[in-house]
Amino acid sequence: MADGSIPAQWEPKIVAFVCNWCTYVGADVAGTSRIQYAPNVRLIRLPCTGRIDPLFILKAFEQGADGVLVSGCHPGDCHYVSGNLLARRRFTIFRRLMEFLGVDLRRLQFSWVSATEGRKWAEVVNAVTEEVRAIGPAPSWGEKGEPWRALEPPTGEEAEPLAAPAEAQTQARRSLARRLLEQGEVGIVVGYEANRRGEVTPALITQPGEAERLLFDGRCRHNLSVYLTKELVRKQGKVGLVAKGCDVRSVVGLVQENQIRREDVVLLGMVCRGVYANGRLEARCHSCTVRTPHLYDHLIGEATSASALAEDPRDTEIARLEALSPQERWAYWQAQFARCIRCYACRAVCPLCYCEPCIAEKTRPQWIPPSAHGKGNLAWNIVRAMHLAGRCVGCDACARACPVGIRLDLINRKVALEIEREWGYRPGFDAEAPPPLTTFRPEDKEDFIR
Amino acid sequence: MMRKALDEEGLGQWLEALLRGPRRVVAPVREGDLVLFRPITSREEILWDEGKSTLPLKEWLFPPTEPVLHYRFWGNEVEVEDPPLEAPETVVLFARPCDAAALGILDAVFASDYEDAFYLTRRRAMTVVGLSCSRPQPECFCAAVGLSPTATQGSDILLTPLDGRYLVEVLTEKGKRLVEENAALFQEAEGLDKERATAAALAQMGEVEPLGEVSRRLSERFESEMWEVVARKCVGCGVCAFLCPTCHCFDIVDEANAFGGCRCKNWDACAFALFTLHASGHNPRPTQAHRYRQRVMHKFAYFPENFGPTMCVGCGRCLVHCPVGMDIYEIVRILAGGGAA
Repeated sequence: MADGSIPAQWEPKIVAFVCNWCTYVGADVAGTSRIQYAPNVRLIRLPCTGRIDPLFILKAFEQGADGVLVSGCHPGDCHYVSGNLLARRRFTIFRRLMEFLGVDLRRLQFSWVSATEGRKWAEVVNAVTEEVRAIGPAPSWGEKGEPWRALEPPTGEEAEPLAAPAEAQTQARRSLARRLLEQGEVGIVVGYEANRRGEVTPALITQPGEAERLLFDGRCRHNLSVYLTKELVRKQGKVGLVAKGCDVRSVVGLVQENQIRREDVVLLGMVCRGVYANGRLEARCHSCTVRTPHLYDHLIGEATSASALAEDPRDTEIARLEALSPQERWAYWQAQFARCIRCYACRAVCPLCYCEPCIAEKTRPQWIPPSAHGKGNLAWNIVRAMHLAGRCVGCDACARACPVGIRLDLINRKVALEIEREWGYRPGFDAEAPPPLTTFRPEDKEDFIR
Repeated sequence: MMRKALDEEGLGQWLEALLRGPRRVVAPVREGDLVLFRPITSREEILWDEGKSTLPLKEWLFPPTEPVLHYRFWGNEVEVEDPPLEAPETVVLFARPCDAAALGILDAVFASDYEDAFYLTRRRAMTVVGLSCSRPQPECFCAAVGLSPTATQGSDILLTPLDGRYLVEVLTEKGKRLVEENAALFQEAEGLDKERATAAALAQMGEVEPLGEVSRRLSERFESEMWEVVARKCVGCGVCAFLCPTCHCFDIVDEANAFGGCRCKNWDACAFALFTLHASGHNPRPTQAHRYRQRVMHKFAYFPENFGPTMCVGCGRCLVHCPVGMDIYEIVRILAGGGAA
């Protein structure tokens, strides 16, 4: 309820997603043993907790659930060996994401209930029902909350002059790009150029003579690796990609996920001293550790070991949001998402959003309402973040592209920080490593599971 | 047409009168970090001449999403219900001439062939008070598409700042009603030379050349290889179409569960592969080059052939907000052979 009061006659609706082999049988045992428990739970049986996609949980909330319970086999009992251990990782992150968006985690619960634990099932259902009863009906899912609330503008260093080294880099890159095209080593070079209004935009050149247009300076903010999977670029042959260290991280991601082969791209790695917008160093550059790219075929610029490692302004803003109550955070993000017009610029500019078709375009079933209303926007923005969990390299291309200024950078960063804290994993450094949500360790924490 | 004048004080009093009046008043306001057209209750909320709104005026006539019908299943029966169509009388204040001109283009589309009641009902209830631009932005190119910073197309009333006063051009019956309700506030417009305001604004616009009659030349180059060269950079999002004041393509989708649902009319964009994807799996516009060509051809060839004007008002929103800086002005010049290839 908007005013936090709990209406009379209200009964919590709990949707439980349970695995076929353990919890479902456990619930059956509770029934045949005549154990009484709260009638508020609706069971949906799936083969395994590993099959329970966060989409299911979102759908349950979208259709009016006040709480969701996910329950499956204890570790070691999974009938598919490790489905529950993969689920454990996925839900670890999904919970943190939902908490950041302002969902009271008492509404989103997890348990291991084996086939013999009829009594435990009854206890879990009773406990979850009472916890949800105590906090009242779920807030309206995807309705416009409060008026738009902007965070304080991020602070950042003032621009430092970049002309000298960047000019040298521009020259070095021009001659290299020309040579690669002339010698047929690459079919296309993707770099940067200035447009007629003096702004820097991507340049896709196929003729050696066009190399003169290329430039490199602190305005080169785009992550050009997005072009590596685009059909019209690929058909030109091998790609010469101008890449800052941060961009190289997404190239590694694309190789890791078998979207491109390493040998299909010639990396023109740029030593980067940070990129600027409106005279300020971009947030991501504060915590950059790859000013000299960690992978390249040609290095342009003098290698520097300097990594600023200053406080990342995104982290300051995340901390500020986390200091709010869940209700306030919920209202903040509802107002943000209410602005979404579903132009999918966030998806189009993301090097790692390459799925064809995207889940948002699927209609059977229609997991994500396609309309730009509260429910649809909420589902889209949560699913986008979740699908990038453990894969997003934090280039913030999505947030820059968003025409209505939704702080996608904060959501991505929050998820990335949680993944690093849990499993020590940072994407974009090791193409051989398994992405963190496709793997598990037996000793992964499970303190959130009953 | 009628010419009047307002001084600063008169304008203030007129705005107060409008705000007290029976109509909803919508004006550009700052909302967080954006400029948007929003309903206002006091004139202090209005943003004067601070760049154009991020979303164009079309959201007030043709919203990003709207239900066209609701339905419920009762066994084998389906109960269908029309959604309420709310169209309060609305005054839009200080639309830029480009945004106002765009309404004329949308009017032509939504009233031709099939009359779109959702759009037209709201449109009939809307009176547009335009404000001439005195400070064109770097992305502006209205002068290249047959308009100008003081163009009257689409406005019911156009205000042009001149010599510390405002020239008030009353252009339609709707506009006339609005002025007559407060006739005492308006002065005679003697001595106000609009040409000076136009020339001053044009002088501040970046170098743009009129695109002229490009329709035939574009059609001749339909098969040109240049389409692919220019479209290679396009990443295929919907920003250009969604922020365009004249783009009007929509999709009809059902959002339903086992009990019923809603049929919605949603903004759609020709840059999406899904836009033309057939159920068979065949896509007649298989690559981004085909899709980008459609965007340019629709605006600069098909629409002029069908309706007369170019379907671009030169507001430059697509240039500013395109995440990769696609520049439709430049691209039309390249394709139509007017600029460097």
